[in-house]
Amino acid sequence: MLALSDDLTVFGSAIVRGEAVSPLVDTVYPHYSVATAIDIYRNNYCGNLHDALASAYPVIYQLVGDDFFRFLARQFIAQYPSCSANLHHFGAELADFLTTFEPAQKLVYLADVAALEWACHRAYFADDAVMLDINKLAQIPPEQYSDLIMRIHPASQVVRSRYPINAIWHAHQSGENGDFHIELDSGTNIVLVSRIADVVQVNELEEDCAAWLHEIQAGRAMGVATDLTLERFPDFDLHAALLNLVRQNILIDFNPGVIT
Amino acid sequence: MGTPTTHILPCTAGIGLRAPHYREVLQGLPKLGWVEVHNENFFGGGAPLHTLLKVREHYPVSLHGVGMGLASTTPLANDHLIALHRLCDAVQPAAISEHLCWNAAARMVINDLLPFPYTAEALDHVARRVEQVQEKLGRQLLVENLSSYLTFAHSEMTEGEFLAELTRRTGCGILFDVENLYVNVRNLGVDADAFIKSIPAEAVKEYHLAGFDERDGCLVDTHSYPVSSEVWELFESVLRHIGPRPTLIEWDSDIPALPVLMAEAAKAKQRLEVCHACVE
Repeated sequence: MLALSDDLTVFGSAIVRGEAVSPLVDTVYPHYSVATAIDIYRNNYCGNLHDALASAYPVIYQLVGDDFFRFLARQFIAQYPSCSANLHHFGAELADFLTTFEPAQKLVYLADVAALEWACHRAYFADDAVMLDINKLAQIPPEQYSDLIMRIHPASQVVRSRYPINAIWHAHQSGENGDFHIELDSGTNIVLVSRIADVVQVNELEEDCAAWLHEIQAGRAMGVATDLTLERFPDFDLHAALLNLVRQNILIDFNPGVIT
Repeated sequence: MGTPTTHILPCTAGIGLRAPHYREVLQGLPKLGWVEVHNENFFGGGAPLHTLLKVREHYPVSLHGVGMGLASTTPLANDHLIALHRLCDAVQPAAISEHLCWNAAARMVINDLLPFPYTAEALDHVARRVEQVQEKLGRQLLVENLSSYLTFAHSEMTEGEFLAELTRRTGCGILFDVENLYVNVRNLGVDADAFIKSIPAEAVKEYHLAGFDERDGCLVDTHSYPVSSEVWELFESVLRHIGPRPTLIEWDSDIPALPVLMAEAAKAKQRLEVCHACVE
């Protein structure tokens, strides 16, 4: 066991939990006290996490305002301390946190908006994939369609909510004038997050299309996925769904083994 | 498009490239000696990596890490190493660097650059980890001296002596942050001349310059201001002793317009040229 490990634990506990740091560190400095030094580290620690959270959740930040976000971030940091050296990983649990965060319970949609924002954050950093050439799909003989296994873009995610999170998200993007009216009880919202080139896309998705995509994501062949979807949604239009999902860069490839 | 010769950092001034300037740099292609970016912003690929690869077509790129935690006492994070390896493969950087600091111990992760006691035990520990990183990446790592707000009562050597021994053992290079040294001189009473003399000049591969803030008498390494006249003076002294090296202007909060950064880089470049003339 390293003595260094004990030293770092004592120093770290002083930063994170305000525990005593003496006699580990020198106590006299020319222009300030050791308490000032620890305070600066503590501020850096909280400040870096606060900033990471604010940059991953710009809509939540706008919805609750600077002061409340600062308060919320402090509570969140205490409950879900950082566990990755990469700050872009910090904040994954904010939606969970918000569902039980008493002071924000009046904003019933907040947790779902957070889930949507985290999906966008992940989509932004997801791996690249080349967009599917729709002509490539058109060359497949129709009788082979049902055997195709589709590949999904790593950025693709679906977020569901009882609230109109798609409209809320779009109303808070830069370029919007903030003059909007949203009916909170407008029904279930299914939102598809994707990325085309460098830009994260947020769009509403029809229930039947979402059901089909769910089966595809589970790795089912296109025929099985379509049959399962048709059982629940007899009006499901496969052709329209394919076009939509290729255009949104959700379907990026299909199992080439089937073609040869 | 042919990639220019960008496998080594040119001995001129560069700037830290941050998100607010990506578009302007890619559209205008201003005359920049080289750029440096923070590794973790490009882990996982995707949209950020796209942008970086476009930048890489026009400028030498240095990859600068803030999350490896070379002195942390939790095992080197494998996913972090893999992500860095992947990034190196994609970018083929002209240099790659990390800080002499820690960010994780026991079950705590503290996303900051934290100091530790400079002991023989810590030296063994850090040297092993630097070797691990260099082995994984198959290339030299530059290790940066730290700005610090406190010192440990049982340190057995100075930071300069620690770095010198680290380069001797591992073959790593030194990224000499002149502003960090200045902050330590003012905050901790570190002897600047002794620091400069303690590190092997030939191991120094890059300089950093930045601006600091002050809080309750303590200089804080915020990278939020222009380089101060005192740091320029110290830089000139460092150049006289160690010689010219690729020099970076870092600015990470309250980031100004690109021309402001470029004007700072021009000041560094001018001093490097004076120094070049002296050497020749």
